[in-house]
Amino acid sequence: MSTTTGTPVFSVEGLWKVFGPKAHRVPADPELAALTPAELRTRTGCTSAVRDVSFDVRKGEVFVVMGLSGSGKSTLVRCLTRLIEPTAGTIAIDGEDVRAMDKTRLRELRRHRAAMVFQHFGLLPHRSVLDNVAYGLEIQGVGKAERRERAAEVVAKVGLEGMEHRRPGQLSGGQRQRVGLARALAVDPEVLLFDEPFSALDPMIRRDMQEEVVRLHREEGRTMVFITHDLSEALKLGDRIALMRDGRVVQLGTPEEIVGSPADDYVREFVRDVPREQVMTVRTAMRPASAEETGSGPALAPDATVSEAIEAVARTGAPARVMDGARCLGVVDHERLLGVVAGTEHSAVAGAGKSVAGAGKSKEVA
Amino acid sequence: MATVTTAAPRIAVPGVLKHPVLRKLLLLALAAAILVPLANARWASGTWPAALTVDFTEPLTKASVWIIDNRDSHPLFLYFFGHISNAVVLAVRAVYLVLLAAGWAGVTAAASLVAWRVAGFRLAAGTGIAFLACGFLGMWIPTMQTLALMVVAVLASVAVGALLGLAAGLSDRMDRILRPVLDTMQVLPAYAYLLPVVLVFGMGVPAAVLATVVYAAPPMARLTALGLRGADKEVLEAVESLGTTARQRLLTARIPLARKELLLGLNQTIMMALSMAVIASVIGAGGLGDRVYQALGSVDVGAALAAGIPIVLLAVVLDRVTGAAGEALGDEPQPNGRARWAYALVAAVAVAVAGRLAGRLDWPDAWALNIAEPVNRAVDWMTDHLYSGVPVIGGTADWAAHFTTWVLDPVRDTLQWLPWWSVLLIVAALAWLIGTWRTALTAVLAMAAIGVLGVWEPSLDTLSQVLAAVAVTLVLGFATGIAAARSDRVERMLRPVLDVFQTMPQFVYLIPVVALFGVGRAPAVAAAVVYALPAVVRITTQGLRQVDPAALESARSLGATPAQQLRQVQLPLARPALLLAVNQGVVLVLAVVIIGSLVGGGALGYEVVAGLAQGDLATGLVAGAAIVCLGLMLDRVTQPTERRAKKGA
Amino acid sequence: MRFRTTAVVAGASSLLLLTGCGAADMTKQASPFANAQGVKTVTLSVQSWVGAQANVAVAQYLLEHELGYRVDTVQIDEVPAWDALSQGRVDALLEDWGHPEEEQRYVKDKKTIVPGGDLGVTGHIGWYVPTYFAKQHPDVTDWKNLNKYADRMRTAESGGKGQLMDGSPSYVTNDKALVNNLDLDYQVVFAGSEAAQITQIKQFAKEKKPFLTYWYSPQWLFKKVPMTEVKLPEYKEGCDADAEKVACAYPHTPLQKYLNADFAKSGGEAAALLKKFKWTTEDQNEVSLMIAEQKLSPEEAAKKWVDSHESTWKAWLS
Repeated sequence: MSTTTGTPVFSVEGLWKVFGPKAHRVPADPELAALTPAELRTRTGCTSAVRDVSFDVRKGEVFVVMGLSGSGKSTLVRCLTRLIEPTAGTIAIDGEDVRAMDKTRLRELRRHRAAMVFQHFGLLPHRSVLDNVAYGLEIQGVGKAERRERAAEVVAKVGLEGMEHRRPGQLSGGQRQRVGLARALAVDPEVLLFDEPFSALDPMIRRDMQEEVVRLHREEGRTMVFITHDLSEALKLGDRIALMRDGRVVQLGTPEEIVGSPADDYVREFVRDVPREQVMTVRTAMRPASAEETGSGPALAPDATVSEAIEAVARTGAPARVMDGARCLGVVDHERLLGVVAGTEHSAVAGAGKSVAGAGKSKEVA
Repeated sequence: MATVTTAAPRIAVPGVLKHPVLRKLLLLALAAAILVPLANARWASGTWPAALTVDFTEPLTKASVWIIDNRDSHPLFLYFFGHISNAVVLAVRAVYLVLLAAGWAGVTAAASLVAWRVAGFRLAAGTGIAFLACGFLGMWIPTMQTLALMVVAVLASVAVGALLGLAAGLSDRMDRILRPVLDTMQVLPAYAYLLPVVLVFGMGVPAAVLATVVYAAPPMARLTALGLRGADKEVLEAVESLGTTARQRLLTARIPLARKELLLGLNQTIMMALSMAVIASVIGAGGLGDRVYQALGSVDVGAALAAGIPIVLLAVVLDRVTGAAGEALGDEPQPNGRARWAYALVAAVAVAVAGRLAGRLDWPDAWALNIAEPVNRAVDWMTDHLYSGVPVIGGTADWAAHFTTWVLDPVRDTLQWLPWWSVLLIVAALAWLIGTWRTALTAVLAMAAIGVLGVWEPSLDTLSQVLAAVAVTLVLGFATGIAAARSDRVERMLRPVLDVFQTMPQFVYLIPVVALFGVGRAPAVAAAVVYALPAVVRITTQGLRQVDPAALESARSLGATPAQQLRQVQLPLARPALLLAVNQGVVLVLAVVIIGSLVGGGALGYEVVAGLAQGDLATGLVAGAAIVCLGLMLDRVTQPTERRAKKGA
Repeated sequence: MRFRTTAVVAGASSLLLLTGCGAADMTKQASPFANAQGVKTVTLSVQSWVGAQANVAVAQYLLEHELGYRVDTVQIDEVPAWDALSQGRVDALLEDWGHPEEEQRYVKDKKTIVPGGDLGVTGHIGWYVPTYFAKQHPDVTDWKNLNKYADRMRTAESGGKGQLMDGSPSYVTNDKALVNNLDLDYQVVFAGSEAAQITQIKQFAKEKKPFLTYWYSPQWLFKKVPMTEVKLPEYKEGCDADAEKVACAYPHTPLQKYLNADFAKSGGEAAALLKKFKWTTEDQNEVSLMIAEQKLSPEEAAKKWVDSHESTWKAWLS
C-alpha cells in the first residue's frame, strides 16, 4: 500500500532482444549496438525489438511500460518470464537470475510467481469459464474439487458470478477479459503481467476494466507490470511509467515527471495533449510561501492535483497552502496554477523515481 | 458506366503480367533454342526416343514372381507383412462378428442412437431409414461386410493420419518432408494404390484395407497438421505463460484447439475410405462393391443400383453425422449429456438383445424390395429411344461417333504427332506461366518420366481423353454452376443429385453409358464427365456465391444488367474458385481413367486393368506409375501458386 | 517424448498379442468373413462372365440348401484367383480356361492347389459375326475374305479400318498379333469389360448392323444374338507358343476346377461336392440365360435349375 523498498520484484539490466540471423553478435558489438534499427536491418538482417533496457519493478507498484506499436514493449514483457528468450542482459526476480533457470525452475516461476493477461484473452474455447479459470491450477496438479472451489472464488471476485458454465464464445469481450484476469489471479501470483489487456475492448468497457484493476490493486496490493499504448491508461494506472521508443526506454518516471518534465522532444510531443492539471501535483507547482501566506488560505495535501488546487483557489480567491501535516511546504497561486495548465511552467521536478506514492493517492483522472 | 469501371482492370491485368510472362517465355525459348537442336540431332523421332527409355517390366516381373514364391517362407513376409495381414483379418473379422451378433435391429438402433446424440433427431431418423433401406434392398450382409472393412480401415487411417499429422504439426522439419508427399497423394487416382499392395499382400481383404488406409490417411494427416499449426498463437502463449509442460500443452490446448480440423479430417477420411472400399472390390474386398462389380458382369444395371444405393446412403449418413458433430462443437454442452449417452447405449443393447431373443438376427428374406426390374426397364427404354435415329438431333450413338471423329481423334493425333521435346516445352511453358519454376520443373520431370517408362504413346492417348473430358466438364460445370448460383431453386434441386453422383460407385453408371454411347473412348469420356461434374458445379456455385456482396451491389447501383454483373463482377472475382474448379476437374477426370477403360477407353487405364486381371503386375505398375506422373503434371500445370493467387486477388 | 515411445511399445505389443508371437503366414489366412457365427463357410471365386456365375450359383445353392453351409462369393479375375486360391482366401475356382504357368507354380511346385477335375464344359474362343450378316454374306465366315468387309465393320473408334471388338482385359487374347500376322485391315478395339462388350453387341444387333467380335462359348448371348464363327487358320498344338507370331485359331479347352489344397483335404462334404460338380454346356447356358436375360437373381436361377435337374445333382452329393 505504501512506498516499499528492499529487493525489487523484477530487476532488468541491459536487456536485449534481437531477432534474426546470428542475433547474439549485435549486443556484443558496440558498433552494431549503436546503429539505428533501420541501419541494423540493412547491415545484418536483424531486427532489434528491445535494446539495452534496464529498470526495476518494486514490490507493490504498478509499473507501466508504454509505447507505440512496434516499440518493443510486448517483446519486453515476454522476456520477463522468457516466453521470448532474451538475447543479452540480466533479469532477476526477487534477486534470482531468470536467465539461468532450468526448465523446471522456469516452469515454477510461470506457475506460481508471474501470471500474464493477454490482449486477445488467450482463453481455451472448449472449456467453460470455470475450467478456464481453474486451468492454471489444473496444470499445477491441484485436485479437481479444490481448484474448482478456488476458481469459483476468483470468478466471483472479478464479477462473473452465474457465468461459470458458459463457454468463452458466449461472452462479451469485457467478460472474456475478466476471465483472463481471473485465470491469472487464480494461481495467486506474486506479479501480474498485463500485455495491452484492454486495447481490444470498447472505450466504455475499457474504463470499467481499468477501474477493476485499480480496485484489485487497492485491495490486494499485488505487483503489476502493465503494457499499454494508451497514454491516458498509463497515466491513470501507473505508479511509474517506462516510455519506450524503438526498443529503448526514453524516459522512466512517475506520471507527473513524464508530463511535467519530458526527457526529450519525442516525449514532449507525446504528452502534449495530456490535461496537465490532472496529472501534476501541487508539490511540483508550488512556490515557497511568504511569511503571511503560511498562516492562511485553503490547505492542500502535497499530492493533490493541480485541478483540485484550482478549484480551491477559485473558491477562496486566495493562494492555497500545500500542507504536509502541520508544516507548510509552499503555496500555489493563480499564476503558478495557470502556468501548469498552459505548460509554460517547468519547475524542477525531483529526480526520477524519488517519490513513489502508493495506491492511496488520489488519481481520479477522467 | 459499368464498362468504364471495369475497363481499367482489364487493361491493367495484362499490363502487370506482361513483364514476367515475357521474361519467362524468353528464357524458355532461349533454353529451347540450345537444347532442342541437341536433342533432335541425337534422338530424331516424333515419339519418345527408344534410347531414353528404361525397361522396368523385367525387374518388376521378377520381383512379383519372387514375392509370390517367397510369400510363405521369407522372414520378411512371415514376421512383418504376415502379422500386418493377420491383424487386419482379425480386426475386420472381430468387427464383422460384432455387427452380425448385434443383428439388423441392433445395428440400426445403435447407428440411429449415435446419430441422435451427435446430430439430433432428424439425422437419427435418416440414419435409421438408411440402414433399413439397405436391408430392404437385400443387401444387409454385404453392407455389414463393407461396414466392418470401413470401421477397421477408418480407425487405422485416423491413427496413422493423426500420428503423421502430429509429427508434421509439431516439427517443422517433418512438415517440410511430409507436406509435398501428402499434397501429391491427394491428387493421385485411387486405383494407383491398388497395384503395389496387391503385389505384396495378394488379393483379398488385407490388401483392400491397406490400400484404403493409404488412400484415406492423407487428409487426416493434412488436417491434423493444419489444425495444430493453425491454433491461436496467443492461446498457446497464454497456456505456456501458466507454466505448462510440453505434454500438457499438447493435450490440454493444441489438440483440443484443433478439434474442428480433426473432425473435418475424420469426415474426409470416412468419405475417401468408403469410395476406396468400393473400388477395392477389384482386388477382392467383398461387400457392397463386389455386388456392384458382379452385377456389372451380368449387365444388370438394376442389381448394380441395388448395391450402389446402400453405398450412397452410407456415405450421405456418415457425411452428415460427422459434419453435424463438427458444427455442434462450439455449443454449450447439454446438461446431463452423459446420462443421455448412457440411455442411448442401454437402448441399443436392449434392441439388440430383443432382436436376438426374437431370433431375428438375419434380415428376413421376405422383406425385400425389388428395384432391379423397374430400373432395368427404364434403362432399356432409354437405350431403345435415345441410342439412334432420334429425329433432328440424332441419337446418342451418333453424338459419340462425332465426338470421337471430330474431337478425340484430332486431339490425340496432334499430341502424338508433336515431337516429344515440343510436348515437354509446352508443359514447361504452361506450368511456368501459371506457377513458379519449381512447378514447371516438377511437371516437366513427370512428363519425362512417362517417356522413360516407355509408355509415351498410350499416355498421350490418355492425355487426349483427359483434355477432352475436362473441356466438356468445364463447359457443362460452369454453365450449371452459374445457373445454380443465380437461382436458389436450381441449387436446391441440384443438391441431392450432386450428392448421389458424387458418392455413387462409378461402376453403376458404366452400363447406361455404354448403352447410350457404345464402346470406345467417347463413353469413357462420358463416364469421366459424370464423375467430375458434381465437384466442378459445386466449387463454381460456391465461388460465385461468395463474391463480395458489396461489389455486386455497387455494380447493380451503376445499372449493370444481370449478364454484365456476371461477366464483369462475379466471374472475375470468383477467379480463384474457378481455377480451383479446373484443377479439381482435371484431378477427378484422371481418377476415372482406369474406370473408363472398362468401357473401351483403352490406353493407360486398360493396361492397369489388364495388369490386375492377368496378374501381370509389372505392366500394371508401369501404367499406374504413368498415370501418377500424368496426374502430377496436370496438377502442376493447373495449380496456380499462392503467390500468383495473391497477385490476382 | 516419453509418451510416444509408450505408444509405440503399446502398439507393437498389442499387435503381437493380436497375432500371437512368431511367424504369421499370410498365405494361410482365410477371408475375415468366413465361418462367421459358427456356420461353416465356403468361399468361391466368381469370374466376371455369367457362365462362371452360373457354376457358382448352383454350387452355392446346393451347399447352402442341401449341406447347410454359408457361401461367400468374391469376384476375382482368373489369374489373381489362382493366387487367392493358393492363399486360401478362396476355397475353390470352378471354371479355369487353362493357365499352364500358374498350374506349374501352384499345383506342381508349391502344392497349395489341387485339381478338382473337369467341369464338363468345353470352352472355345473365336471370332464371330452376327448370323443375320453371315446369311447375307456367307463368305464372311472365312478369314481370307474379312478384308473385303472391313469398311462395313468400320466405327468411329476404329478409324479408317474395320473394327474387331475385344472384351475384358482378363481374357486370353492373341487378336492384335492375329490381325497383324494375317494382314487384316482391322483395328482391335478393347471394350474393356464383358459388360460393355455385350451391351455393344446387343445395340448392334438391334439395328442389324454388321460387326466382328472376339467371343467365346459356352455363352448365353448366343441365344439372344445368334452369331457365326469366322474360320481362322486351323489350331495345331504349339502354334500359339510365341505370342508375337500367332497366326492360328484358338484351341478348344476342357474347363477345369481347382481347389485349395487344405480345403480339399479338410473341406468335408463341401469339398466332395465341388470335386464331383460336373454338368454340360446346355446346363450352364440355361442358368446363365436366366441370370443374364431374365434378370433372375443367381439364387433364383439356381433354384429353378436345381428343381428341374434333380438327377444331375443328386449324383454330386453321394
